[in-house]
Amino acid sequence: MSEKNENGLRRQDEEAQLECGEPGRDEAARVERAMEAARRQEAAEHQPEEEKLRIGVYICRCGGNISDVVDVERVAETVRLIPGVATAKVHTFVCSDPGQQTISNDILEENLDRVVVASCSPFLHEQTFRGAVARGGMNPYLYEHVNIREQASWAHKHDPAGATDKAIRMIAAAVGKLHHAAPLEQIKLPNHRRALVIGGGIAGMKAAADLAGRGIRVLLVEVSERLGGRLNERGAVYPSERSGDELVADLERRVRRDPNIEVLVSSQVTAVSGFIGNFKVQVQPVRPDAKARVIDTTVGAIVMATGFRPYVPRNGEFLYKNEPCVVTMPEFIQLMRSVKPDARTLTFGKREIRKIAFLHCVGSRQLDGVHEPQPDGKLNTYCSRTCCTTILQQALTVRERFPQIEVFDFYRDIRTYGRGEEAYYTEASKSGVVFFRYNGEEPPRVESAPAGRRARDGAVSITVKDTLTWGEELTLGVDMLVLGTGMTPGPIEDLIGQMKLPTGEDGFLQEVHPKLRPVELSVNGVLLAGTAQGPMNIQETLAAAGAAAVKAAAMFAKDNVELNPYVAAVDLDLCRGEAQCVTQCDYDGALTMVPMEVGGEMVERAQVNAGLCVGCGACVAVCPHRAIDLNGWRLDQYEAMVDGIAADIPGHECAADLVSIH
Amino acid sequence: MNTQIDSSFTPDALVVGGGIAGLQSALDLADQGLKVLVVERQASIGGHMIALSKVFPTLDCASCITTPKMSAAAHHENITILTSTEVEAIESAGGVHHVKLLQKPTYVNFDKCIGCRLCEYACDTEYPDPFEEGLGAVKAIAVPFTNAIPQKAVLNAEHCSTCGTCARVCPTDAIEFDQQPRRLTIATDAVIVASGFKLNSITVKPQYNAQRSQDIISPLTLERLLAPHGPYGRVLRPSDGKIPGSIAFVQCAGSRDESIGVPYCSRVCCMYSIKQAMLLSGALPLADITIYYMDIRAFGKGYEQFFQNAKAMGINFVRGKVARIDPLDGGDLSLHVENTEEAENPIAERRHDLVVLAQGMIPGWNPAAATPVACAADGFVATTSLTAPTATVAPGIFVAGTAAGPKDIVDTIAEAGAAAMQASQYLFQKRAEALVG
Repeated sequence: MSEKNENGLRRQDEEAQLECGEPGRDEAARVERAMEAARRQEAAEHQPEEEKLRIGVYICRCGGNISDVVDVERVAETVRLIPGVATAKVHTFVCSDPGQQTISNDILEENLDRVVVASCSPFLHEQTFRGAVARGGMNPYLYEHVNIREQASWAHKHDPAGATDKAIRMIAAAVGKLHHAAPLEQIKLPNHRRALVIGGGIAGMKAAADLAGRGIRVLLVEVSERLGGRLNERGAVYPSERSGDELVADLERRVRRDPNIEVLVSSQVTAVSGFIGNFKVQVQPVRPDAKARVIDTTVGAIVMATGFRPYVPRNGEFLYKNEPCVVTMPEFIQLMRSVKPDARTLTFGKREIRKIAFLHCVGSRQLDGVHEPQPDGKLNTYCSRTCCTTILQQALTVRERFPQIEVFDFYRDIRTYGRGEEAYYTEASKSGVVFFRYNGEEPPRVESAPAGRRARDGAVSITVKDTLTWGEELTLGVDMLVLGTGMTPGPIEDLIGQMKLPTGEDGFLQEVHPKLRPVELSVNGVLLAGTAQGPMNIQETLAAAGAAAVKAAAMFAKDNVELNPYVAAVDLDLCRGEAQCVTQCDYDGALTMVPMEVGGEMVERAQVNAGLCVGCGACVAVCPHRAIDLNGWRLDQYEAMVDGIAADIPGHECAADLVSIH
Repeated sequence: MNTQIDSSFTPDALVVGGGIAGLQSALDLADQGLKVLVVERQASIGGHMIALSKVFPTLDCASCITTPKMSAAAHHENITILTSTEVEAIESAGGVHHVKLLQKPTYVNFDKCIGCRLCEYACDTEYPDPFEEGLGAVKAIAVPFTNAIPQKAVLNAEHCSTCGTCARVCPTDAIEFDQQPRRLTIATDAVIVASGFKLNSITVKPQYNAQRSQDIISPLTLERLLAPHGPYGRVLRPSDGKIPGSIAFVQCAGSRDESIGVPYCSRVCCMYSIKQAMLLSGALPLADITIYYMDIRAFGKGYEQFFQNAKAMGINFVRGKVARIDPLDGGDLSLHVENTEEAENPIAERRHDLVVLAQGMIPGWNPAAATPVACAADGFVATTSLTAPTATVAPGIFVAGTAAGPKDIVDTIAEAGAAAMQASQYLFQKRAEALVG
């Protein structure tokens, strides 16, 4: 018992499904079905007839990522039978240039008017194929992307027949959707050629200086009193061993002198609204008594250069705060910087230091069951990237300046990966730094020395199972223990909440993709520079800032910002002004009620702000009159997709037998 | 894609190298409206990355990340690409860089070639395919690889038997046996050196005896073995086609070793070995996989977590430097290694049937000889600016990616963007000054 639907495909019996429903609901369901049929009829009338459609389907082997599991030739043979499909081709990499060329050529030579590519995740290649389609002269939104890799070949690799059937059905759904597709145009928004850089550390200053160097105006906002950020506390930087102050001064000079840059210190960004090309931001002085005023302004792009916060150990973690001689790396660097140039000894709390230990991975590379979670319940599982070389640099400095001090280094893995960094390790070894290697599962134990023996043996003792000497347990007394503390995310919870910025499992801001869009956030027009994204050293931070600046510069090279047209649209014939959609909408300003004249009467109707709408569809779900829908993802398109999945394809006999996916 | 140009073409910037660094720099310049010429030595753009299987830490297939960038560059209205072309010299005078190029003969007229591959199918001379690290065979005239850009056949004169079959089957008369090397000089205001890396020789450490066994392989060979579209379509050991049951990764086999002149860390080996070990354990669930290492350097975003996942998957990590590898009769390989974590019998002999040597990265090109660019003691391009890590000692010449030292793809892409930013600023300021006069 099945009937032909408007696509010419056979739909499974709907009556049978209704019988499963509760008796009281049947009548409502029947009414709903009748309404539904009417709507569909209406929708079908607006669409080109299917015989006129010429859909090209391109099925990707993805090298073998797809074709090792999915029988792609069979998929092509089968989908050719779906009404409207003019051609179906298999290619090893549709995303490659020849693959894309095939699509563009076919559009011209075979008069295709719709295209489906069945390949990987649209996240990777939807834009790629839209470009190929546009080069063929077709509206790029008459293109559908089907993910038969993550959703078929990878998900069902032990079930090739099922994966093949699923691929066919997914393509059938896309073809169904295309039967109801209308050409769409990108949304063009004005582009305010000015950037806001949040954070005046080296990342922020570098991004600001780079943009200003291209003639782009920048507002640079720093929360503290001075520019330079964490580098102000750093002293000499590796591997150049030049002064961090010099680096800060160099960048600050450029930032302060450039007429394109407006610098606001002791200021914070208190409000951000709007969208790419047109963000409204408010900047306020940190202290209300300051003379500075509240600034409301507009920028086209925002660079997040908010930096990191050094890890602060818990009280008692390796006796931190219990024993004054247990200090963090920033505290130790301050101590070293306070030493007079002619000092022969290093003293701390009036006591001469004879033995120093450095302990790696404090607050980094934490393991479940070994380390205590942070207050938020999470472990810092990541490597902080900079601590190893910093420790070795400091250890070497101690050995060079105070050769009488014995230096001990407790590490898990020495990660001197960067250019010029390995030399710190070899030099530290040569200079007599003694290394102990511990397993992450068994971190060293730190204990207070008994009162009577502190002067002789050192204030704290460190016990380690040393894997450099085949697991021997050693105990060592030292006068000072320096904790190699890592980086943690900066305190920007307010901005994260207000701007709806994504963070990763590690708490740092999360880029869209580490290789495809490494300095972009999922919020359009918001870019990432430096350690706000994760631990980086200075060279890497400067490079990341440049990479963020170049994306902003490219964006400002165009007169308009162009966005995908997948936003809500209101049908004013159906809207009754009940504002349920506005109540439901999560994005401030995306949907508002505006007064307008309808039938000689002033009424309020919903209006979409295309720049702010993210196309989530929450409004569509609540509208009782179906007066709001999403361009490119209309409800009739969803229905056509469901029909496509459920339909039997003539000639594809085995589909019904392949129950493994149902 | 424009492939034929002459000296009248004056791009705003010239990018040396069409690998991931060069392509990203070119795209970031071109997106700002600047005209860019990309010069690539090989017959296709894509560099090392296009030959990789999957990339850490996301395990995206490498082609899936590289091909869109290749394609975007090839289709960009502001980008021109010259393949099979080398930079012979750069002479800088009065703020203009005169880049001397050598276009090597491909014996195929690219304006006529339609990439139909009829010549390739008809050719009956084969040689070990460099794209497959010599494991498969390629015809003497061929499109370099499936997703190569440009999709044009290139004839390898070294292996051609000059039988003329290709010329006879070519439907567009594109074969030109009499093509000569062509020299041309391009004047440009800015240059980005993105000339990449190569691996040091697999035989660089004589105690590893790589010349004595085909089963002591390069990590790039394993990339091809792991690639779904690789030479065998699955992982087989090269000597006898056996499915390997026990695989060893020998870390720092060409890095962190003053005895071979590479004292530095190559920065990517820990992570690619961990990735390859993970992919192998997927491809060969029964195989025993061991990584012999000195320090695991999983420093990047998500890398440490990736390392911990590999440990949880059952990959063995043995801390110890491999001292010697001896090929045994019967095909096994004997590794002499000190396991520093083992209290009993730390010095052991371990047997494996496939060994991957983590060779080190060395510079792909030495620009110091024929350009104003200087190299540092490590052989890579020297950068001296405190605040502009992509500036070289030569004004108007910038550097990106592994040309300036070993780097993973993530860091390479960031640096490529930074180099493009530095170059575009340089161009902007130069032109602003010219206007002021």
